[in-house]
Amino acid sequence: MSAATRSVSLSAGRKIATGDRIPQLSQFWGLYARELLKTFRNPFVILITMVQPFMWLAFFGGMFSTVPSTALQGLGIHGASYLSFLLPGVLATGMMSIGMFGSMSTIQDKRFGFMKRILITPTTKATVYLTKALGSATRGLVQVPVMLVAALAFGVTLHGDLLSWCAWILGLVFLGFGFSAFFLAITASSTDWQTPGVISNFITMPLMFASGAMMPSSIYPSWMKAIADVNPVGFSASLSRDALTYGVFTSSDVATLAWLGAFALLMVVIGTLIASKYLRVE
Amino acid sequence: MTDGGMAIRTRGLTKVYGGRAQLPGLRPRRAPGGAGNGPGDSSEGPPPNGHRGGLVAVDHVNMEVPQGGIFGLLGPNGAGKTTIIKLLTGLVDLTDGEAQVAGYDVRTHPLHVKANVGWVAAEVILDDDLSGWENLWLQAKLQRLTDWKPRAETLLEYFELTDRRKDRVGTYSTGMRKKMEIALALLHQPQVIFMDEPTIGLDPNVRRMLWKLITGVNHEFGTTVLLTSHYIEEADALCDRVAIIDRGKFVATGTPNELKARIRSDFIEIETGTEVTQAQLAAIPGVSEVRSQGKAWILKVSSAEECLPHLFAALSQHAIKRINVEKPSLESVFIDITGKRLDQAGGDVQDFRKFYMNVRRARQ
Repeated sequence: MSAATRSVSLSAGRKIATGDRIPQLSQFWGLYARELLKTFRNPFVILITMVQPFMWLAFFGGMFSTVPSTALQGLGIHGASYLSFLLPGVLATGMMSIGMFGSMSTIQDKRFGFMKRILITPTTKATVYLTKALGSATRGLVQVPVMLVAALAFGVTLHGDLLSWCAWILGLVFLGFGFSAFFLAITASSTDWQTPGVISNFITMPLMFASGAMMPSSIYPSWMKAIADVNPVGFSASLSRDALTYGVFTSSDVATLAWLGAFALLMVVIGTLIASKYLRVE
Repeated sequence: MTDGGMAIRTRGLTKVYGGRAQLPGLRPRRAPGGAGNGPGDSSEGPPPNGHRGGLVAVDHVNMEVPQGGIFGLLGPNGAGKTTIIKLLTGLVDLTDGEAQVAGYDVRTHPLHVKANVGWVAAEVILDDDLSGWENLWLQAKLQRLTDWKPRAETLLEYFELTDRRKDRVGTYSTGMRKKMEIALALLHQPQVIFMDEPTIGLDPNVRRMLWKLITGVNHEFGTTVLLTSHYIEEADALCDRVAIIDRGKFVATGTPNELKARIRSDFIEIETGTEVTQAQLAAIPGVSEVRSQGKAWILKVSSAEECLPHLFAALSQHAIKRINVEKPSLESVFIDITGKRLDQAGGDVQDFRKFYMNVRRARQ
């Protein structure tokens, strides 16, 4: 009885005037924090996220480890080794495929009904969408420190220029946010577990190879080069290359960063419109 | 919660699921005006009420629930109970009609409605990866509460969950999960709380405990409760007013006693080992109506006590496999109105399988 009487005075009559918009900041923070909590509490997810790009370095990079540097230079690779060329590209492709996790956790929420719990609170679908996209972009950043350590272990020399590193990290955030937003938008109305994986595979592979992330785009046939010229993955890879491999920050990097920013913004705006309309509840 | 008005008011509340939308557990029904028209026949435009050929889940429902009351929606699976909750919580859009909940129009101010209602799902929806306290924290953020901790602690105490607050919800027992869900629904002091099949899948002890909790919540927190159920005794024990719903329509509304008073007759359900004809049964003195239900017959009689001797005499040549007397109850009201027993009216088997699948999935 004491329990009940104590509660009555609290926040009673919290009535919002008709016509008011309901701010979304509190809901945004709650849902974003949930994404982070769920990610960082699941060691398996963290492990796979970290190991995946590492495998690229070990196996894909391993193929070229005995190729003489003259042959690499013939392909247009001018770094100390192929690994130092590959590392930035792998980080960029990793950020792209990380968007899939956001879609999958959204579908999980629909399947378990948690989306209903969220949407029977004053939370808009746009808020749900944005926190998912930001959550998976954040998850993608987990691989950055691991990759740097791995690269050092493989004997890659890293250059350090603060400005170029900031631009690189910001570029990765844009890339991850943009692709998460994209994947989430096209799976907004889906409740099928398999959809995100299928769609992600379908889109990730071509964008990965037509990006200059694995090989310099100068050796591409013209049609692949045309894709690489607008492919955000390639833009992010070249930002990373300037930061990690060459340690420079040029005026073209500013344009690259701006394009990545525009890509993220465009994806988020379109995605928010789609999600507000088509995000399924269950 | 003081102005003594209506917590929920609907006029002509209607939901038609379109051709592609699927609602599990619902049998396809043609919308009024759709008879004879195939789904592909769109040449003449929509009929005046704007829906044809869809799945009519809720059909022109009018209801009024005064503040502080416990209102029950009683009906078989697939009758439209859950859809009504989804409409009133703003989770799905209305096809037609209007609804006000907690003083706000569901159509124009869905977020305001959501800020003032709580919701307890049939299948117990919590985030199993988070602790009880974290679930409360998230709910507080989603409801934009600032000073929520004292109330959360009060609720945990009330539901006897205080010492498990730091444990992952996934490790809770079913009863605890249900209590946790109700605590979440009450955290922001909603004016109305919706409980969808609150005791489905729970053992009798937990069910009785939950009944106590529901009436307690209603009395002590002054919260209006709208609950759905297909358990007669639940509606009878808990609700001030009950609406009997069948195929998306309210077929009767009133207090449990009013509804029971409508029935002056008893029902006898009988199943025999050998074939009996309808005419044979109708000829028995005192029987006013005979309906078939599967292999069994349902007889409407003025008084079961007076009729039974005649019945036994008439069926002396037949082996009686099962006999069941239904005195006036919400069950007999349902039988009287719809001609079916409540537990046999819906697609139970399918629904239960889905329900337990959900529970299993949620527990993983």
